[in-house]
Amino acid sequence: MTGPNPPRAGSPARLPWLSRHLLWTEDRIKVRRLVWALAVLCTGLALADFFYHKHVYFEIEDIPGFYGIYGFIMCVAMAIAAKVLRVLVKRNEDYYAPYSVESEEHPEADLGRENTHA
Amino acid sequence: MPELLTPATLYIAAAILLPFLPKGLLRQIVCVLVPFAGVAVFWSLPPGTYSSFNLMGLHVGLMQIDDLSRIFGLIFSIAAVLAAIYAWHVRDTIQQVAGLLYAGSAIGAVFAADLVSLFVFWEGTAIASVFLIWARRTEGAYAAGMRYLIVQISSGVVLMAGVILLYRETGSVAFGAMELGSLATWMIFIAFGVKCAFPLLHNWMHDAYPSATVSGTVILSVFTTKLAVYALLRGFPGTELLIYIGAAMALFPVFFALLENDLRRVLTYSLNSQLGFMVVGAGIGTPLAINGAVAHAICSILYQALLFMSIGAVLYRTGTARASALGGLYRTMPLTMFFCLLGGASISAFPLLSGFVSKSLILSASGYEEYFYVWLILLFASIGAFVHTGLRLPWLAFFGSDSGKRPKEAPAHMNLAMGLTALLCAGIGGFPAVLYGLLPNDVAYEPYTLSHIVTQLQLLAFVALGFAMCVRFGLLAKPERGILLDSDWIYRKFFFALTIGLYRLVNGTWKFSSRITLARLDRFIAAIYRTHGPQGPLARTWPTGSMVLWMAVLLGMTLVLAYI
Repeated sequence: MTGPNPPRAGSPARLPWLSRHLLWTEDRIKVRRLVWALAVLCTGLALADFFYHKHVYFEIEDIPGFYGIYGFIMCVAMAIAAKVLRVLVKRNEDYYAPYSVESEEHPEADLGRENTHA
Repeated sequence: MPELLTPATLYIAAAILLPFLPKGLLRQIVCVLVPFAGVAVFWSLPPGTYSSFNLMGLHVGLMQIDDLSRIFGLIFSIAAVLAAIYAWHVRDTIQQVAGLLYAGSAIGAVFAADLVSLFVFWEGTAIASVFLIWARRTEGAYAAGMRYLIVQISSGVVLMAGVILLYRETGSVAFGAMELGSLATWMIFIAFGVKCAFPLLHNWMHDAYPSATVSGTVILSVFTTKLAVYALLRGFPGTELLIYIGAAMALFPVFFALLENDLRRVLTYSLNSQLGFMVVGAGIGTPLAINGAVAHAICSILYQALLFMSIGAVLYRTGTARASALGGLYRTMPLTMFFCLLGGASISAFPLLSGFVSKSLILSASGYEEYFYVWLILLFASIGAFVHTGLRLPWLAFFGSDSGKRPKEAPAHMNLAMGLTALLCAGIGGFPAVLYGLLPNDVAYEPYTLSHIVTQLQLLAFVALGFAMCVRFGLLAKPERGILLDSDWIYRKFFFALTIGLYRLVNGTWKFSSRITLARLDRFIAAIYRTHGPQGPLARTWPTGSMVLWMAVLLGMTLVLAYI
């Protein structure tokens, strides 16, 4: 889930507290571990369905792990559907130019651009 | 002199006064304090209609207070304060005045007891808000603002037409529950639908909102669409058609939100999908469903505002909201990232956050009324909200591939506005009883049951796993520069091309026919000239000799005839 690491301007120690504690998101191995942990959590939550009385509106909800299965399948399905849709609906940014803001930059007067040297 | 006191009067008075105040602190303080004064006007009043008078035989009431208008008035006022804090850096008089007038009109519309004052404020929101788009001051923003204004004003005109027809039918302009059936109510319904961004009437939102200024988009995200939801809740509760419209509305924007590159536009699609939930709630119309729609409107105002604020802060610091140009901002904007994640978690209905306690009302209502497919679609849209707004959006902006950008953290006032909004999101999620106590119907509902919590956590965990798989195996579309065609293509390209085509056709026909006519006319004139012109036979000066000759011939002939 991480991108390439460009050389940093400063040391991680100069980053804000919260950011320092998120540097692991750039470590592929740690992210992979997190995904495995997520998978374990999913299994646990799916198994939990066997141990309590589920209050349901529809029969389909009685299937153990219905919410998980539906969620996982629909998530993957919508990602694929969107990818197919993109072929049909994507155009260049200047498609509506000059009558659209996509073809222009945001005016500097409305911005407060500042960079850090961290 | 009729009594004109409504919260809107205060906003309008402040907007008139504002340009005369010196630029700076005083103005900001006025912008932040006016909503408090507005709340003070209506909060303590018992239910009833105030500031009512006769206008040309019509019974007009500016301030109708009941449970529904009171809670919408309150949340609009809260949002106005938050937006004013967020816009603390703005020194542009136009934006400040437009912001006040816009919030004032929206609140005025919420309290309108009759359809005529509703119409006035309805158009007021359109006219005031367009200046937040034009304040960007670019050619593209001008065009986008024009399109927005045309759509919004048309909505108002259709509303007016409907109101006139209704008045002819019933002799009353009071704003209460209506039934679809006559042309009048259909027109009012469609006018509400345009502002509510019904499917195929929705594109003004995705076109205009990302075209506004940094703070303008935050303000825009709050009022117009929620005002329409309010109008539907008051005017058409329990209209079955709304259930299907709402389901379609919740479903389709999901795919666009998954593809869009402009993160502010991702949020408008996500907002559109959330509006679908509210419309379904209004359509089901049971006390629980109405409560759900109101609660979801309130929660959605807050978490959407929070999300728009965080992406606005990114835009403010980096100059772009394009996902393809962002990434890795968590290093230097950790607070903004935190607020964005919190907003994302709220919209994804994480337990203990606001989305959970409002969305489950609508899902439960659709369950109780046994709308199975609608329920499945709403569940799909919730999954979608988690994927496109809870995961993809923060991942693209703050994590993902590093853009190398190292912007400074958002300014203090933006962090304050985001912090307060985040606090409200968490507060509503943690103490739903406070929110439920304000809702129009008295329905006992417990969101934190074991079933709800486990099933929701299961859903979220599996979707997160699915998202990770999609990223790992490249199933998720990577952000690329570009735009997506939506229904606005019909009027921006097709009608445009049609108009150009029609212009060419008419122009060509005119040129052709005028050329033919002119040529014939020329030939006709030339022919006359030939005969009657200076050299023509009919205009020639004949010698007197020939006349004498002909006279002699004639006389001779007369002589001959006389002697015969």
